[in-house]
Amino acid sequence: MRNRFYLMTLFISGVILCAFTLFTAYREMQPEWKDYQNDYKELLIKDTRDEAAKKKARALEVAIQQVYLSKLKRIDRCTSCHIGVENPLAANAKEPFRQHSGEYLKNHELNKFGCTVCHYGQGRAMNKKEAHGIGHDTHWDYPIIPMKYIQSTCAQCHNLEMLKLKGVDRVVKGEKLFGENGCRGCHKLQGIGGDLGKALDIVGSQPIAYFPMGNVIGERTVYSWFKQHFDDPRALVPESEMKVHVTEAEADLLTTYILSLRSEEMPREYRRFKDTAGTERTMEDGEALYKKYCIACHAKGKDSLYDELFNRTVPAIMNPAFLKVADDGYLKKVVGEGRDGTQMTAWKAAAAGLSEQEINKIVEYLTSERPKVRVEPFAMASAKGDLKNGEGLYRVRCALCHGETGKGALGLNLRNPVVQGADANFLAITVRDGREGTPMPPFGKKGVGLKDQEIVDVVSYVKTLSKKK
Amino acid sequence: MNEISRQGIDKFIDNAKNIIDTFTGSFLRSGKPTSDRSRAAVMFNNFFLHVQGVKTHMNTLRPSYTLGMGLAAFFLFVIACVSGVLLMIYYNPSIENAYNTVKDLTYVVFAGKLARNIHKWAGEAMIIFVFLHMARVFYTGSYKSGREFNWVIGIVLLAVTFVVNLSGYILPWDQLSYWALVITSNIMQSPKELTDSLGITQYFDIGGFQKELFLGGLTPGKESLTRVYLFHIMLLPLVLLIFIAVHFWRIRKDGGLTKPEAFQPQESDAQLFSTPDKKGGIFTTNKTYGLMELAGGRTPAVDKDVENTVLSWPNLLLAEAAVLFVCLAAVVVYSFFIDAPLKELANPLIPENPAKAPWYFLGLQELLSYSAFMGGVGLPTLALLGLALIPYLDREQDNVGIWFSSKMGKSVALQSFFTGIVVLIGLLAAAIRFGWLRNWLPNIPQLIITIVNPGSIWVAFVIGWSLFVIKKTGSTRMGAIALFTMFLMSYIVLTYVGTELRGPNWGFYWSRSQWPSH
Repeated sequence: MRNRFYLMTLFISGVILCAFTLFTAYREMQPEWKDYQNDYKELLIKDTRDEAAKKKARALEVAIQQVYLSKLKRIDRCTSCHIGVENPLAANAKEPFRQHSGEYLKNHELNKFGCTVCHYGQGRAMNKKEAHGIGHDTHWDYPIIPMKYIQSTCAQCHNLEMLKLKGVDRVVKGEKLFGENGCRGCHKLQGIGGDLGKALDIVGSQPIAYFPMGNVIGERTVYSWFKQHFDDPRALVPESEMKVHVTEAEADLLTTYILSLRSEEMPREYRRFKDTAGTERTMEDGEALYKKYCIACHAKGKDSLYDELFNRTVPAIMNPAFLKVADDGYLKKVVGEGRDGTQMTAWKAAAAGLSEQEINKIVEYLTSERPKVRVEPFAMASAKGDLKNGEGLYRVRCALCHGETGKGALGLNLRNPVVQGADANFLAITVRDGREGTPMPPFGKKGVGLKDQEIVDVVSYVKTLSKKK
Repeated sequence: MNEISRQGIDKFIDNAKNIIDTFTGSFLRSGKPTSDRSRAAVMFNNFFLHVQGVKTHMNTLRPSYTLGMGLAAFFLFVIACVSGVLLMIYYNPSIENAYNTVKDLTYVVFAGKLARNIHKWAGEAMIIFVFLHMARVFYTGSYKSGREFNWVIGIVLLAVTFVVNLSGYILPWDQLSYWALVITSNIMQSPKELTDSLGITQYFDIGGFQKELFLGGLTPGKESLTRVYLFHIMLLPLVLLIFIAVHFWRIRKDGGLTKPEAFQPQESDAQLFSTPDKKGGIFTTNKTYGLMELAGGRTPAVDKDVENTVLSWPNLLLAEAAVLFVCLAAVVVYSFFIDAPLKELANPLIPENPAKAPWYFLGLQELLSYSAFMGGVGLPTLALLGLALIPYLDREQDNVGIWFSSKMGKSVALQSFFTGIVVLIGLLAAAIRFGWLRNWLPNIPQLIITIVNPGSIWVAFVIGWSLFVIKKTGSTRMGAIALFTMFLMSYIVLTYVGTELRGPNWGFYWSRSQWPSH
């Protein structure tokens, strides 16, 4: 046949083209949601007894359902599959037709709130996988939130007082745990807190790309990340220095709280607050403040402990022996200024954001068990130190632990500003009496037997260390 | 019923019976194509068809000669235009709505996802077919004998095809779009590397100017999207259309496609077209153009090889329809199974790492990683200029229309391919393994790296090798074959390296699975 080659090519490709056009049309006419709506319709027709309702069910139009929420800048088509959310007859139906649980829709009308503002997920999508947004290949930053964390989304519009009143308490409990486990010791929130860790103000709305998901087990969502990070921070981020010791249930509560920390503000008309006594920050007592800011590192504060993550000894700041030596002024200074070169944060208002009263309260709490018997004073000020003798003594007595140049080894770095700026009396007393709970022995009469003048010499020499190379 | 009214009714019934024939006839302007005369008339009486000859050379109709690739590129362009218009019905070029309208297209518009896939894949296939078409034209020596400038127009079409694809890539406003926009604006800015190292940026900041012109500001934003949209749906398609029209018109003026001097009909040809009726018919064995015959010269091709031509209707049109349908079917099937990507909404705070341009630019991005100026401006300009100048530097006029010109051409192509691939991969491997000048001499002036980097060394090698081939064979055509082969090969190799072997921070990884998962 003439032209056979081209005619055959034309014919075969024409057939393929027609076939796939038909396949596409078929695929487009059989979307997932249509099956659900048809099933739902059948269910209604079967379950209803009275004729009028049956007729109404039969007349149900199978079509895309959507809620357009201009204020919330979203379109929710979830009800295309979850078609029975408002129907009391579907109270016991199987998913996705089941009526919405509880009374929530009464105060949160579907056509004003939609679904994704509380549940997240991708409202525009029309198939289950992409609508729920779970899985990396859906490329959706805010997948549907598991029910155990759902209360975190209430906090977008309601304050914690109101939630407490309504018995929606998981965020409140989470916040309590957050306060009592010293999380703010390292994390800033509304400008207050340490800066060893990340600031948490908008962490609950941060997209998945911010989180190293490599080691997450199971579903790779931000929700799982938080939960597993509370369980074991170093399982997800090997270099993490975060200290957290919580039970499984507590981790869930903390996750709920963390997820409630979001960036976007809801439109005013959507927000409902329960009035609180005052909007000012109410002053907490010393113990609460200690728990909020200090407990993560200092624990109970009675014994010094070697911290493997920080690679250093965390001092026992509530140990009576320590308190005997350290006076309030010194403690306030350390809390306020922090300790350079260590993880100790400067808590003053300009840095970590605590007010002077708060620092005073913390110090008051720390010193509440200070022994009545004060340490024997040392008259350092009136004495004059002999630097040469001091240097000799330092080489023999101190260099082994504190290093030839005072840079520290087993013992403390003596060149750090805290030691250098400390009261000479305080240093002299420490040298004389040693420091209980640490390897620092007493060098005075009770121990090595240095004379007071010799201690003056050593302390004078130590005070010059920072100027040496 | 009287006689008159019966006659009237009969006439009406007759007209109704013949309505198909008369309609076709009026549509084609010269009646049903039943004779050679009317078949010829179909072609020259039709607005769209008369750009083609009444008769077509048999060689043109052999699929082994053209492989239909230029035509495929054109049809893909048409497919992209039609599907693009469908997308425009819903798409809204604002940074608030662009992403959402694309989402709606994929989720709720009937067959919207298919339309988007077709648009995307037809556009990207265009790049491949423009390249393949260029290779066919090159290797059959079809840029010669009066077609030199048409080759230059082809290079322009290649460049515009790239740009129109890139501009489309930016419109969905997802992460891919945003970071491609950022990379492109950086490429626009890359002359800054040169002006900086010459110390003249403050007087003559061409890079900064280009970037600002492209973005409509200093950073990507809503003006950039408006601008890119304008380019994508209006300016660039218009430019393409005009140049395609000129491209086609010149083919016609040059006497159709090239063909070998010594053409022999073969028996297998009978499957491809209706061989000419030797007896009778309206055509003499002379092809005449009236007065133009007297003008002489090469164009139009008068009186040459007339016995080896066949009527374009139906032979040529059938072949063209076949190519169109193959394109349509292939694009629809591919689009049915493979979805165009759409990632998260554009987020300036989350850089994709690695931030990659679309695949067809990854070869350039690889060169860019050695030197911004060379990769972004210097070498691409040099490559396009070199390609455009090929017909003027190689002016040998023999063996036109024969694949690789001769046996020697074939072996030069093979030798160049294998030599090139060894040298290029060696060069890249050395740069990846041992680093480049900056790693050894940290204080080296940037100007030296701009001039001496793997990309420029490779181009220098290609030029040197081509000159060597010219010297050895005494033929500029052989040199051109060497040059072009190495160009094609390096485009493929560099694109592969950029696409598959480069990971976060443009580091080297054997596969995507080795990327650190942070």
